[in-house]
Amino acid sequence: MKLRAALMGAVAVLGIAPAAFAERGTDGEVKLTFPQAVSIMNPYLSGGTKDIYASSMVLEPLAGLDPNGVLIPKLVTEIPTLENGGISEDRTSITWKLLPDLKWSDGTPVTADDAVFTWQYCTHPEGGCSQATKYEGVASVEAVDPQTIKVTFNGPKANPYTAFVSALSPILQKKQFEACLGAAAPTCTDANNMPIGTGPFKVTGFTVNDTVTLAANENYRDPAKPAFATAVIKGGGDAEGSARAVMETGEFDYAWNTQIPPDTQASMLAAGKGQFVVAFGTLVERLETNTTDPDPALPEGERSTAKHPHPILSDIRVRTALSKAIDRSILVEVGYGAGGKPTCNVIPGPEGWASDNDGCIAQDMEGAKALLDEAGWKDSDGDGVRDKDGKKLKLLYQTTVNPIRQDFQALIKDWWTELGVEVELKAIDPGVFFGGDPGSPDTFQKFYADIEMYANNSESPDPESYLGQYQCKNAPTPETQWQGENINRFCNPEYDALYATMATTTDLAARQEIAKKLNDMVTKDSMIVIPLVHRGTLSAHSNTLGGVQINAWDSEMWNVADWFRVK
Amino acid sequence: MLTFTLRRLLLAIPTLLVISLVIFLLVDLAPGSPMAEIPLTVPPDVRQKMIEALGADQPVFVRYFLWLRQFFWVEPASLIDGWFGTTLAEGEQRILSWQSRSPVFTIIGQRLPQTLTVIGTAYLVGILIAVPIGIYSAYRQYSWFDQAGTLFAMIGFSVPTFFSGTLLIIVFAVWLGWFPTKYDTQLVVNDWASFVKQIKQMAMPVMTLGLANAAAISRYMRSSMLDNMGMDYVRTARAKGMSERTVVLKHVLRNSLIPVVTVIALGIPAIFGGAIITENLFGVNGIGAALIGAIHANDLPMVQTLAFIFAVLIVLFNLIADILYGLLDPRIRYD
Amino acid sequence: MLDAGPAPLVQVRDLKMHFPIYAGIFRRHVGDVKAVDGVSFQILPGQTLGLVGESGCGKSTVGRAMLRLYEPTAGQVIIDGDDVASLPPEALRKKRPTMQMVFQDPQASLNPRMTLAEIVSEPLDEHTDWSRAQKLERVYELMDQVGLNRRFVNRFPHEFSGGQRQRIGIARALALKPRFIVCDEPIAALDVSIQAQVVNLLEDLQEKLGLTYLFISHDLSMVRHLAQRVAVMYLGRIAELSPSKDLYARPLHPYAEALLSAVNEPDPELAARRKRIILKGDVPSPANPPKGCNFCTRCPKVMDICKTVKPDLAEVEPGRMVACHLYTSAAGSTGAPEANERNQQGETR
Ligand SMILES: Nc1ncnc2c1ncn2[C@@H]1O[C@H](COP(=O)(O)OP(=O)(O)OP(=O)(O)O)[C@@H](O)[C@H]1O
Ligand code: SF4
Ligand SMILES: [Mg+2]
Repeated sequence: MKLRAALMGAVAVLGIAPAAFAERGTDGEVKLTFPQAVSIMNPYLSGGTKDIYASSMVLEPLAGLDPNGVLIPKLVTEIPTLENGGISEDRTSITWKLLPDLKWSDGTPVTADDAVFTWQYCTHPEGGCSQATKYEGVASVEAVDPQTIKVTFNGPKANPYTAFVSALSPILQKKQFEACLGAAAPTCTDANNMPIGTGPFKVTGFTVNDTVTLAANENYRDPAKPAFATAVIKGGGDAEGSARAVMETGEFDYAWNTQIPPDTQASMLAAGKGQFVVAFGTLVERLETNTTDPDPALPEGERSTAKHPHPILSDIRVRTALSKAIDRSILVEVGYGAGGKPTCNVIPGPEGWASDNDGCIAQDMEGAKALLDEAGWKDSDGDGVRDKDGKKLKLLYQTTVNPIRQDFQALIKDWWTELGVEVELKAIDPGVFFGGDPGSPDTFQKFYADIEMYANNSESPDPESYLGQYQCKNAPTPETQWQGENINRFCNPEYDALYATMATTTDLAARQEIAKKLNDMVTKDSMIVIPLVHRGTLSAHSNTLGGVQINAWDSEMWNVADWFRVK
Repeated sequence: MLTFTLRRLLLAIPTLLVISLVIFLLVDLAPGSPMAEIPLTVPPDVRQKMIEALGADQPVFVRYFLWLRQFFWVEPASLIDGWFGTTLAEGEQRILSWQSRSPVFTIIGQRLPQTLTVIGTAYLVGILIAVPIGIYSAYRQYSWFDQAGTLFAMIGFSVPTFFSGTLLIIVFAVWLGWFPTKYDTQLVVNDWASFVKQIKQMAMPVMTLGLANAAAISRYMRSSMLDNMGMDYVRTARAKGMSERTVVLKHVLRNSLIPVVTVIALGIPAIFGGAIITENLFGVNGIGAALIGAIHANDLPMVQTLAFIFAVLIVLFNLIADILYGLLDPRIRYD
Repeated sequence: MLDAGPAPLVQVRDLKMHFPIYAGIFRRHVGDVKAVDGVSFQILPGQTLGLVGESGCGKSTVGRAMLRLYEPTAGQVIIDGDDVASLPPEALRKKRPTMQMVFQDPQASLNPRMTLAEIVSEPLDEHTDWSRAQKLERVYELMDQVGLNRRFVNRFPHEFSGGQRQRIGIARALALKPRFIVCDEPIAALDVSIQAQVVNLLEDLQEKLGLTYLFISHDLSMVRHLAQRVAVMYLGRIAELSPSKDLYARPLHPYAEALLSAVNEPDPELAARRKRIILKGDVPSPANPPKGCNFCTRCPKVMDICKTVKPDLAEVEPGRMVACHLYTSAAGSTGAPEANERNQQGETR
């Protein structure tokens, strides 16, 4: 299976080969624009997608992922598998073989030492490495010989393709970063902004949060690539301005993250200068239900904790009714257009990992009402709001300040009001909501509300760590300073047990089965999470830019070496 | 005048120190965390490590004194090092942005040129448009020209730059295709072609801001002219048989310019502050865009340093305005 | 009404100065402030005409309109043979040196950013082609004339006292050797002790230079001392115009009478005879003056006719002109107002 994947990746790369008829640097300049400007070119010191994408044109991992989420070799001869012996039988180590004669853009050879150093760099306790999870469970990285890198894990690892895989985990040049270990990491401004890499381009100029200028790397392993002699990434402005610069004025060739309203998308498309491409990854806009009671009357420290189950939402019938009342197609139409699809899953892709759960797509208001009736929530006093035992069916529904989210809030409030639920809306500054400050009552982890809405995704196609969030132990509590990813305080021993088996299951199909089951357990089986929209990243590219293959699993610039000018 | 200036400068020091502390506390107490922009996929313990690496977990006063030391000692020292090749600041930690890990002053240095060229030109253009409009509006008060000027000022005041800028983009960039929508900060002007390019890319942001600036200044100019126009000394000048030109341009205008010049001087710190919306809209990526970006990212060192520099500039230009007033108006003496 | 001797230097005929009032969002013309509403008088060369009246009656406006500092609405202002009110701009500018003005507020009338030398010599720049030295010489000469120390030549107006400032104003007015000067309350803003100095200066200058003055004031005793003839204004019109001796001895117009009753009379005999007349009510707005005599709302001797017919200024005694029905009827004038009066009486019967 792995081998097939690798071969497919290789074929995919070859498939774009026609572009390679061009010689290196014959197509002039390619201009990219990002609505958020690039802050730093070292992904280990930044979690920002903009920085990771920009740096991916320069820094490369050993292996990347193609648009289907399939591993492809980058700096190595092949993807190590159990079959080819690259992964040890006991799954405790993985061995990568570097391509022969691989050179950094400064002409020096790439060796296994660089990989070892990269691991040390990111795992240094004082370094504050933002990609530390990539190296979690790694016991050691050794240079067996200058061409061979052996990664040893603490124990058997079901998914060994974390370290040195994807744009989040590229190889740094030891020579350049040697003095930048640990606390010194942020002070190496030059190295962080102009890292030496193996990618198709090298940095020639960097102005913070503004412009990165790049030129073709003359030491790039494919002598015919890249087709462009230079590249520039201009940042700043907003999504609409970026999209306009590609779609309407034609000043730029590629704009990443042009999330604009559907009607604007249509009018820009009409200008005929370019097109939108959507990368559908695993990002899902969802409603999270609170299984615990956020009642402000509860003493601080007990509010929104497992001590007090939610008085209304603990009933699955209520949660289901809330989901049934929503028309997800309208949400997509209003908020995302081509950039979104209705979904009922928290794992909406890649194919093979996504459950076929689509029971929530059709709105069913009557069914929802019937469910609430059945649950005993009836409008006994005729004020339009259902009640039970003298308690009103009233919910506080919070999200961040964001125009699309406020549209969603309004629409969903309408549907729920029709259902007989009184809804109070709240919108919180995203910096506060996602800021994680334990002192603030408004963080999404503290969840001092009944329902909250945001988007989350799995960073890798294999959703193991993402699904781990819903384990009982990950619930944010006062004891954990309100940190933890199990926002719903969902606690199901069956889920935890099944999740535990995933870590030891190595067969891909079996893993996918488990993932689907786990997905269903938090969605259709329990309605703890109410997924709404599978969101893609909308990007735009000019009609004169060839070779673009949108990729949700790795950097969108994953194949920038193959981009060329359509003549 | 010199003693006055020195006294005011000395007085400014404690004021600025208090301001710096207040800004620091305000920025620090503002909700939000430097990690808010980091994707949710980065787990909490990694976030905590990152925060520690930034030094953001230190108590606020520790960080404040560190910042003070960096601002007043390390940064000037490293500047001197840069000029004379000394090693005063060797091994010292400069003020680093949390967001980009680059020295804050390097970022400011990179951004100041475009802010000064674009926003400064817009200010200049605004003044050049506003002063004649103000003069003529006042001279022919209630004429159609004055009414048109009032309308112009009203539009300039009330139409947000976000709107006027977008309008300009649609007309001049999308329909006519004359000007680029994204400012190229890397453009080096060294020949005629690049100069034309520079003018073209400045055109729209300058128009957008120039309109807003001109609106305000033309009103000041007009009312100041009107104030003076009715004064006896203007009658005196007319009675002397001076030509209308001399009366308006020499007597009225010179006296009317005094308050306008001070208003203009007081507006200069705003040039350094950039224009957040316009800079963002046209990708000028100057100081304004840096500030808003830093605020969004809760980049405390950047916000703190910029805010403090603005405070210094405001204090400085207040002083300059006072001195200018003294120089221009013989009635005012500071000694 | 004509004095024997030389022809008048200044002749004002039916001068009107109406300021338009605009109101509403569209700034429509809704009326006029009739600040000066038909004023006529003449001044002989070398003489002084006093112009007195309450605040707001239009004195300053008369002075300014005469010198074309306002564009008069109607009327003629003939100064030394030219109708200033209708001169084209360039001719007017050339004419300006003959007629000058000294202002009430010496501070406000001097450009704060110009030094004494600049202020005084500026008109010389405009109207002569003298060299710098010549101009400076003239400035010194003028400073001597008005009694300013030559050391002050480079000072700014704010560096002078009020009296000194008014001397600068006078020096400035004299720079071009005018023949006619409007003195608009030149002493009102000064200390009593300095007032006399400035008045004496003006008198000396008149004597030496043969100047003709229109002296505007509400200080009646000062005017008495200075002016040969005095015009009393009320609400934009002249009520009485008489030789000052006669006026102060025996005012004819009821308003002049009331005004003078408030003045300290140095002559104890006259003072004993005089009874203080206190006027009731306020001065009507010049935007909306009464239909008949402007004074009819407050006149102690008001008659029916006064409320409908405006009395014209007419000579009622040799050299004395009054605008009051009391005298026009008594004098048996056959003017139109009289005819009107009869008609109206006919109607009321
Ligand atoms: N430019 C102007 N526009 C409109 N109205 C005016 C203007 N100048 C004067 N007036 C009005 O005309 C009337 C006469 O004013 P003027 O200044 O001539 O009075 P005055 O007799 O000189 O009073 P004072 O003794 O206070 O100086 C006043 O009611 C004044 O409000
Ligand atoms: S005309 Fe009549 S109202 Fe006017 S002053 Fe003479 S008596 Fe008085
Ligand atoms: Mg006056």
